Amino acid sequence: MLINGQLKYESQKLAMNYFRVAIVLFGAQLLMGLIAAIQFLYPGFLFELFDFSVARMVHINALVVWMLYAMIGSVYYMIPDETGHEAVGIALGKLAFWILTAAVTVVVLVYIFIQVGSGSESTIWFINEGREYLEAPRWADLGIVAVVLVFYYNVFFTYLKSEKKTGIMTVMVANLFALAGLYLCGMFFTDNISMDQYWWWWVIHLWVEATWEVFVGTLAAYALIKILGAKREIVEMWLWIEVLMLFGSGILGLGHHYFWIGTPEYWWEIGALFSALEPVPLVAMFVHVLYDWGKEQGHAEAGGADTAVKNSPAMAWIASNAFGNFLGAGIWGFFHTLPQVNIYTHGTQFTAAHGHLAFFGAYATILIGMMYLGVQGAYGIKKMTMTFKSKMALFLIIFGVLGMTVALTIAGYEQVLVERADLGGGWDAFFIAQELPWYVQAQAWRLVMGIVTLVGFVYLAWDLLTIGQEVSQKESESVAATA
Amino acid sequence: MWEACTDVACGNLFAWLNQGPLTLTIFLHTVVVIPMFFIYFQEKKRLEEGGE
Amino acid sequence: MSKKSASVWTSIPFWRRSAAWVTGVATVLLIWLTFDTMGQISMGSDEDLKNGVTKRIPAASVINYHIDYQFDDKRGHEVPVIGEKEPFFGKEWSAEEAAKLLHLGKLTSQAKNCMNCHTLLGNGAYYAPDLTKAWLDPKWNDGTMTGITGKASKEEAMAEFLMHPSQYPTHARMMPNLGITKEEAVALVAFLKHMSAIDTNGFPRNFSQSAKRLEGGTHAH
Repeated sequence: MLINGQLKYESQKLAMNYFRVAIVLFGAQLLMGLIAAIQFLYPGFLFELFDFSVARMVHINALVVWMLYAMIGSVYYMIPDETGHEAVGIALGKLAFWILTAAVTVVVLVYIFIQVGSGSESTIWFINEGREYLEAPRWADLGIVAVVLVFYYNVFFTYLKSEKKTGIMTVMVANLFALAGLYLCGMFFTDNISMDQYWWWWVIHLWVEATWEVFVGTLAAYALIKILGAKREIVEMWLWIEVLMLFGSGILGLGHHYFWIGTPEYWWEIGALFSALEPVPLVAMFVHVLYDWGKEQGHAEAGGADTAVKNSPAMAWIASNAFGNFLGAGIWGFFHTLPQVNIYTHGTQFTAAHGHLAFFGAYATILIGMMYLGVQGAYGIKKMTMTFKSKMALFLIIFGVLGMTVALTIAGYEQVLVERADLGGGWDAFFIAQELPWYVQAQAWRLVMGIVTLVGFVYLAWDLLTIGQEVSQKESESVAATA
Repeated sequence: MWEACTDVACGNLFAWLNQGPLTLTIFLHTVVVIPMFFIYFQEKKRLEEGGE
Repeated sequence: MSKKSASVWTSIPFWRRSAAWVTGVATVLLIWLTFDTMGQISMGSDEDLKNGVTKRIPAASVINYHIDYQFDDKRGHEVPVIGEKEPFFGKEWSAEEAAKLLHLGKLTSQAKNCMNCHTLLGNGAYYAPDLTKAWLDPKWNDGTMTGITGKASKEEAMAEFLMHPSQYPTHARMMPNLGITKEEAVALVAFLKHMSAIDTNGFPRNFSQSAKRLEGGTHAH
């Protein structure tokens, strides 16, 4: 992952830089998660030095930022393939990358060393905004907007320049416009907490349950063509079906966040049925990936080749994405999306369980797959196969995240039944539920599974650094042997 | 039969459509889905008449 | 490709148009609903409170009133009930003073990053109790926290706790000292009292039933 040697386009070289930062931030996310998980069991750990609120803030911010990095990287990587051109403003793009990375570094250092400020506007501007996921201070918000404008300029004008506008790029350009624009909804201050959360969900929900999902659909479409040589007509038809179903359910599915924040009761119905349909496109995506895989494999075997897959680690992560998205976002989301259930599950570990599996299954998996595609390109590898490390990474990370999810689900059930259904919430009810053995055991298993995930991450980072060299060496040796 | 005030709002279109289980959401789903029949038949006609 | 196929189901233009239609209409509906909701969740006025007009989010001066959370038969869940006037930190706050106080309280809640341990209206982190109805929590009303902090009223006890949380531990998991000043603490209490008056459609349900049932001690340790 350290060299760009075989990449012809500057845009793709820039993509590799985005991937490199993303993987570092992914590591930071896991370390912060580990601290927070330890604090659930040993609350004295780093107390008043590095409190849960700080660890948790950096944990979720690193998550969002590494994903945005990997997403921007993925787009820069696919632009030349889809348009046949270098990104139009690549010099500006490179500058934006360094500005963004410098800004992220400053923001993280401030989070870690300054942590909180006084109750004033200047804290909101320079330290943190104190709104979950959107903690980035206002100055950084403005910086992000500027960087995203540069990025979007590159995507849009390179798209305009392309002779043949592909369906994948059309969806990408339209979707990124919405994705970027939505960020603006999270950039103002109001004294009205209900108003605050109303718009806050516009960013969070319309990202992760609408535009990010469509983004994943376009990445999967691109990757299937790249890895399997899938037929563009079929892939793009599926993509439009996915857009139809994802936006059809996801946009008004926003209502499931408006059950209890002061908004009118009519959101119960809107949120319930539209969001109940959100798993449907995820099933479709899963079917689609397996359909294309099976079909191309059949063609390959009929033609005498052993496999259709040109990059097996990327394919493994993309297949994990297809299923993980359905399981984490679809099933775990559906569990608690109806208001009749949500009145008890809202604000419990149930949400945490869903959050972990959904972010991992829907986004982390495919973005890791894109990184493997990048490595393949950078080393000019014709057919990339998994190493022992790739397999360990795949297995340990999936097993670890599933384990954390199951543990948090059990903790959530206990919390829902004892704290909410039985005791009705409140200070005492909260702590009674937190101290019951079943809850504590579940938190212990979450920590164990978190460590498993972290070990898997070490394998992943190590593999991304070395697999290119290893496989390309083998490939050139076998070419030499046959010659 | 029809409740003019649901929750704390009166004379509000969406609250008025919200008359119990699923009335509002089924209405909205219908609004979304019905025109797709029109799109379907229009596309069918176009394809049969030899569009690409 | 063979002759013209009449199957619409494999036609890209059909799916593209359908996707555009559905996305467009869902967006328009969402914007329409948003305008409607904005009207309903904008903050009420001081006059509304004086005239007994029910607003989903009352004016900041609701801190001058007694707030309760009671079951509503028609709606089938608990709703906030705004009652008689009561002093807040020993006085009545004018509409402007109350609004300024709420502004400082909301700012402080963000500056101190409350949401990354607690939940507010159920959103946030799950490390500490939900704050939606914290003002109404029996812990502040049954003498526990006023006793521990040695304060006469619950708002004073809350402010004292917020300024020195780790001096008054109730569990192994404590709230850290966040350097909250006296002024900020008073404002935070106002913010919490205001939040407890928001109509959350019955969330949390059966709030603090435990307090009634477990009077005289809990079974956890």
